[in-house]
Amino acid sequence: MPTDALAAQEVRKTYRTRGGPAVEALSGVSMTVHAGERVALLGRNGAGKTTFLKIAATLLRPTSGSVSVFGHDAIRAPDEVRPMIAVVPQEGKPFFHLTPREQVYSYLRARGLTRATAKAKAEQALSEMGLTEVADRLSINLSGGQRQRTMVATVIATSAPLLFLDEPTIGMDPFARRSVWESLRALTRQGSTILLTTHYLDEAEALSDRLYIVERGRVLIEGTAASLKQGIGGSLRVSVADGARLAQQFASFGSCVTDGTTLHVLIEPPRLSELLDVAVRAQLTATVGPVTLEEAFLRAVGRSIDEE
Amino acid sequence: MALPAPAFRGTVAFSAAESRVQLHEGVAIFSSMITQAVVLVFVWVLARSLLPVAVFGAIIFSMFTFGQRVLNEAAYIRVDHKLNELYLASPLTPESYFLGIAVGVLVAYLGPTLLLVALAALWVGFTPALALELLLTATAVWLFSSSLGYVLSTLFRDMRAIWSYAAILYNLFGVLPPVFYPVGLFPAPLRPVALVLPPSAAADLLQNALHPGVLTPGEVGLAAAALATASLGMFLFALVWARRTAQEA
Repeated sequence: MPTDALAAQEVRKTYRTRGGPAVEALSGVSMTVHAGERVALLGRNGAGKTTFLKIAATLLRPTSGSVSVFGHDAIRAPDEVRPMIAVVPQEGKPFFHLTPREQVYSYLRARGLTRATAKAKAEQALSEMGLTEVADRLSINLSGGQRQRTMVATVIATSAPLLFLDEPTIGMDPFARRSVWESLRALTRQGSTILLTTHYLDEAEALSDRLYIVERGRVLIEGTAASLKQGIGGSLRVSVADGARLAQQFASFGSCVTDGTTLHVLIEPPRLSELLDVAVRAQLTATVGPVTLEEAFLRAVGRSIDEE
Repeated sequence: MALPAPAFRGTVAFSAAESRVQLHEGVAIFSSMITQAVVLVFVWVLARSLLPVAVFGAIIFSMFTFGQRVLNEAAYIRVDHKLNELYLASPLTPESYFLGIAVGVLVAYLGPTLLLVALAALWVGFTPALALELLLTATAVWLFSSSLGYVLSTLFRDMRAIWSYAAILYNLFGVLPPVFYPVGLFPAPLRPVALVLPPSAAADLLQNALHPGVLTPGEVGLAAAALATASLGMFLFALVWARRTAQEA
């Protein structure tokens, strides 16, 4: 099997709407996902993450460009690719009139697994997702988070070589999110490859071996979370409330990024006390913490991931 | 057109899941027979002699409305649940996905229709020829209607629009032409239209089997050819369409 689970070259997608202007959702995205990796596409709503994921998962034709999955052409030969992939759709819901147990089992059977294998894998996935207690309850009676966990369980039960997860933990509580992360880590240890989209920075940082920051249909940066944080010019972040108006005054300390009225200054530890003195003299409140992916995102994109 | 066997991989398993989903909709299954039941009551009260025609028409109408169920279900799981993405990005083929929904709906909704078949057997009695003709025409109508329903389901992005169009389409072509009433009562100049529309073609062929001579030999040929062409043509088109729309443009 080729070492690249996914290779995309110059993928473009333009949506043409009747009577409206054409919308370019992807403007030449290229990326590679190596076998066994967990890679995150990080971006704001509308950045193009889902469009790319759907093209890679054989569900959408690009306007131009190429995508291969384990060496098979995902655009021209989708039948060769589909047995090797599984997808958690964005905002997908299980059949309301199936129980989680029925949902996972019947999906595995439709993929061609034997009854015994489907049953065993369904039980394992339900257990990993903490759904055993509600496994026989109709999905219509489950909470939003439980339904989302059912969708994730359905897909992780396949152990497909390449899994696409579009915002897999949306609507989940922190404990459930961590269960998903742990299951995804276990899957890659067993040889699967994972490409996920998220706009949760902590998820991208905790889960991905590498990540791509996507904005307006383009890849802005690619790297590990650590390398992206190192690349922004400081190991500490000082957030100065209402400091945006004094950005010039703080610029000499290091890189400055504004987020609304807050100013984030990225500095190295030796200059911390000096900067805090300036903030105190200006009667501003400052908080100090390690640099996070949020600063790397702000630096790359120019605005917060939650900003519409 | 010969389709490779793997094209239908996963159909049985997916249709079993789909049937299980549909069977939870007890009220929907009950309501699927309301139109037919009301029409039969009217006929019972107003013109009892037409009951055999109306019962066979009710069976054909039921098979036709299965397509409306397929339309609603396929659109619902695509628009509301996004489950088409889960199933289509998998070894389940697009053809199996379409057939799974169609067969799943058929299995779930067939029960009440079989009650109508039992009524027809009680009131009319079945000869082997009539039974075979009923089986063939009903199957053709189901094939046409389910295929049409699936194709239409891929064209909408809003469930409310689907409900409106589906109601118009299935009532217009299932109730207005001579499905429940004798073809002889339909305006003569429009008879060819009735004989090429699958529901009325099927119902009128059955009327001719019940009362030989209702249709001329030429009309029998027209209705049979139209029904076979429409059902097989729409089915093959739906298979091609299912594959094409599995990867959106």
